[in-house]
Amino acid sequence: MCVECGCGKSIPFGVRVLSVIAPGLLKPKPPAAAAVTTVTPEPLSPLTVEVHASLLAKNDDAAARNRALFAQRKLLALNLVSSPGAGKTTLLSRTLDEFAPATGCAVVVGDLETDNDARRMHRPHVPVAQITTGTACHLDAEMVARGVAALDLQGTRVLFIENVGNLVCPASFDLGEAVRVVLLSATEGEDKPLKYPPIFKSAHLVLLTKIDVAAMLGFDCQAAVENIRRVAPQAQLIQLSARSGEGMAAWYDFLRTHLPPP
Amino acid sequence: MHEVGIMESALLLMQRQAAAHQARRIDRVVLRIGTLAGVDPEALRFAFDVVTRATVAEGATLEIESVPAVAWCPACAREFGVENGFIFTCPGCNDLCGEIRRGRELELSRLEMS
Repeated sequence: MCVECGCGKSIPFGVRVLSVIAPGLLKPKPPAAAAVTTVTPEPLSPLTVEVHASLLAKNDDAAARNRALFAQRKLLALNLVSSPGAGKTTLLSRTLDEFAPATGCAVVVGDLETDNDARRMHRPHVPVAQITTGTACHLDAEMVARGVAALDLQGTRVLFIENVGNLVCPASFDLGEAVRVVLLSATEGEDKPLKYPPIFKSAHLVLLTKIDVAAMLGFDCQAAVENIRRVAPQAQLIQLSARSGEGMAAWYDFLRTHLPPP
Repeated sequence: MHEVGIMESALLLMQRQAAAHQARRIDRVVLRIGTLAGVDPEALRFAFDVVTRATVAEGATLEIESVPAVAWCPACAREFGVENGFIFTCPGCNDLCGEIRRGRELELSRLEMS
């Protein structure tokens, strides 16, 4: 589905079995028995290096630069992650209408293709940057840095980073945010936190969204809340509907509480 | 499926090490991967085979050390290991604990070169 799995690079599917050469196969045969006493066999691996380097060092460095920039600008940066269709853009659209007029907001939004989300969130009072990742299944810190560089952040207090809809890959990538928000919607299964624990474990806030339609769909909010509590006891939890408006006040309170002092 | 991207970063580190030590090839690669890193070891192995083709690391043995998760209970002021699963219950007080001390590692640990 994405460049990360190789399919975007036109790599033949059978490549996995083509090129494995066992390290020992190319070595010369050991010397005959008589010679063993006089010839020292070449050690298999004469050089061992302890590296202990993070595989995400490049991203983590960029995330640290983003974090420093957000701190310098006294911005609250939030990274919103969820499955596709959990309601990130709807939540942000209402937030921009109700919250942004009093408290300056900006948005960086990532999708594989189209600028539909940026157009949906466009408001005269809100700078919005769309990042199209092509085939990549998550935002990384450098993409966010480029998106942020394109925005006029004068007067901005809250930066929303809407990640690519995906509950797996974004878990590994620090974007420099202060708050990671994971959305779970009533149109999904109550057991999603159990199925995708790494991302819920990394959440500061979990939003249970679309609760206005939960009863209609037979979605068991109580079971979902229990699953969130079990997997992510560190996270705050707000239940809301961006359509009916229920719970939105708690979300705005959360944002105000986490604003850095001006 | 972000394992190819992660493995490309790993390959970059390997190539730098090989060049710095004037190695002809890399024989063994040891990674340390936390159980909470959000990375699938099988996908990493697949990615390793793909991205190391025609490089100094082609054909190297990939060893993945799994780092088990360790959580912290503030009430009992103790760490506890998590054998499997993602629900961390303190064995002392049975409280659910959210603070993770280890288990997010994603590290190139060791290289053997010749």
